[in-house]
Order: sequence, then C-alpha cells, then structure tokens
Amino acid sequence: MNIDELADMVRNLLAEYVVNVEIGKDLVHVEVKEENIIEAAKRMKEAGFDHVKDVTAIDYPKEGVIKIFYHLSSYSKKDLSRYIVGLGYSIPRDKNSVPSLYGVWTSADFQEREVYEGFGIVFEGHPDLRPLLLAPTVAELKPLRKDFIVKEEPIFKK
Amino acid sequence: MSKGNGDGKVYVGNVDVAAKKARKLLLGKLKLGKLVDWGTAFSLWPVHLTTSCCGCEFAAAWSPRYDNEQHGALPWVGSRQTNMILIEGTVTRKMACALRVVWEQMPQPKFAIAMGACALDGGIFYNSYNIVRPWEVVPVDIYIPGCPPRPEAVARAIIELQRKIRREGLASKFVEEGWRPDKEYVKPKEDLCAWWKG
Repeated sequence: MNIDELADMVRNLLAEYVVNVEIGKDLVHVEVKEENIIEAAKRMKEAGFDHVKDVTAIDYPKEGVIKIFYHLSSYSKKDLSRYIVGLGYSIPRDKNSVPSLYGVWTSADFQEREVYEGFGIVFEGHPDLRPLLLAPTVAELKPLRKDFIVKEEPIFKK
Repeated sequence: MSKGNGDGKVYVGNVDVAAKKARKLLLGKLKLGKLVDWGTAFSLWPVHLTTSCCGCEFAAAWSPRYDNEQHGALPWVGSRQTNMILIEGTVTRKMACALRVVWEQMPQPKFAIAMGACALDGGIFYNSYNIVRPWEVVPVDIYIPGCPPRPEAVARAIIELQRKIRREGLASKFVEEGWRPDKEYVKPKEDLCAWWKG
C-alpha cells in the first residue's frame, strides 16, 4: 500500500465526514467535522488503526480556530503500521469543551491530559482529567496558546 | 528550674543558660569550634536529588577520574543522613516542592550549592512559565556557573565551601547560636506543594 492508496482508503472510509485531506511523506492528515469525530474515530478503529500515537492541538489566532489532531497508527495491520494518519477537527478558539476519544482509544488518556493542561481544552467524558506535567496554577495560564505572553527580560539585570 | 528534693536544699538554676555557657566555654576558649568546623568541612555529604541534566556531571564528579570522595564528600541516598544539597540545574515548579521537602528533612548545619546556569538565573529557560529560581526555595551558599559545569568545577565548589566553613566558622556558629547567623531563613513566597494533594 502506498501513500495515495492510503489516502483513498481513508477518504472512502470517512466518506461524508471528510472536510479536507492533506498528503505528506508517510503521513495523511484528515480533517473532519467536529460533531462527527466520535463516529469517524470508531470507523478508523474498525479499519485497523488501533492506537493513538499523539494528541496535539494547534492554535491559529488569526483564523480564530484551534485544530485538535489525533495521530493514529496500527500495530495489528502490517501495511498500515508504516504510516501515520492524522485525524483532526477544528473548533473556535473560545470554545473549550470537546468530546474525549478515550472511549475509542485508551491510549489517548495521557495525551488528552497534556492538551488540557497546555490549551485549557476540556475533554468531556475523560475519566481522569487533571494536569499531567504542569502544576494546576501554571495550567490555568494555558501556556501553549499563542496569546500567552512569555516574559521577556534580559538575563543580566541592570 | 529545679525544685527542692526534700532535705531542705533548693537548687536554683537555668539549664538553658548553663548549657549556653558550657557551649561558649567549649567552642570559644577551648577552640573546640575549630574541630567542629574541620569535621564538618570534610564530611559534606550531598543528597541524591537529580532535578535536571547537570546530574550527569554530578555523577561524573564522583567517578574514579574526578574522585570527589577525596574531599570527604560522599553522595548519600537518604536526606536525613546528609548535610549538603547540590541543586543540579533547572528546578521546575513541581520539583521545587521535592527540593524544599528534602531541604527541610536534612539535619543542621546544612549547606546548598547551586549548579549550572539554570540554577543561577534560569539559563536557557529564563523566561519559562514552569521554573523557579533555586535561591527562592533554599538559601544557596555557592553558585557554579556553566552549562553544564565540568566535574572539576564541582570539586572546586566543594573545596570553596570547605574553605568558607572553616574561614567563617559556619558549623561552630551553628552549634553556638542554634542557627546559621550568615544566612537568612528563606521562606518560599508561594506554597510550593499546593499542587500535591496526597
């Protein structure tokens, strides 16, 4: 299976949910509508994508959206295990509640907690949603959002 | 105050005052303070608290090549049996809790060495949202610059701390006064362990 066949497979699989498909090197990014994410995730799991490698969020302050991406791959199917498929959706920046995919992939557990502490996005249905690496007082600042202002000061004070 | 014991004699005296006088006699006139300082200077045992990447250099400093044990310093596992802490690089906000807990567990007189650029003023993480300055957590005696410092620099810091203890009589002053007269008590501005609800 090459990368174009994989893209076609994913396109056929998610059919009516697909908003946009991007093809990179060994990587296919599929964007779906936010309301369809759980159904799309279930279809992907049935097709053999059995684990989440990474959950990440990307902040686009000019467009006013945050894109949440689940990077999926497979251990059970050999031809799929070569590739990574990014399944994602975008939400408005002021919305901070999205459905959790813990019910579909258990391996999304810690990574959704990291997105929660960095961006302040609450994953509804996550069993244990609390900051993973950061202290709660730091997590409240939502430090990975673009509008978090990093303190600029010279190392050597005058 | 000790009260009478039945046969008409009453002993009046303050045990604390007597102890203080005895301490002053022993440490001042008989110069036992120098012995205390000498003993402390050559038994600086750092605790194993590897907060960051400078821990590699810390380990190398006790390897056979740079053998820091010749200075009487031996890394030890339990914080209650040590009297020195080598802060190894960056201290994150969560690790600051552990650092403070370990510091408070260590018996007096105790000393702190801050190692690496991150422990001085943040280093490359100077504007990070998730670090604290070690000097806000514990009172630091010696700073070692470098990113990371060489094992020789660690040895130098230990020798420098030994000199400081013997020159200023830090250990004997502690025995005399009950606290370190040269260092102010550092109290963290915020509750470092607030995140930990154990």
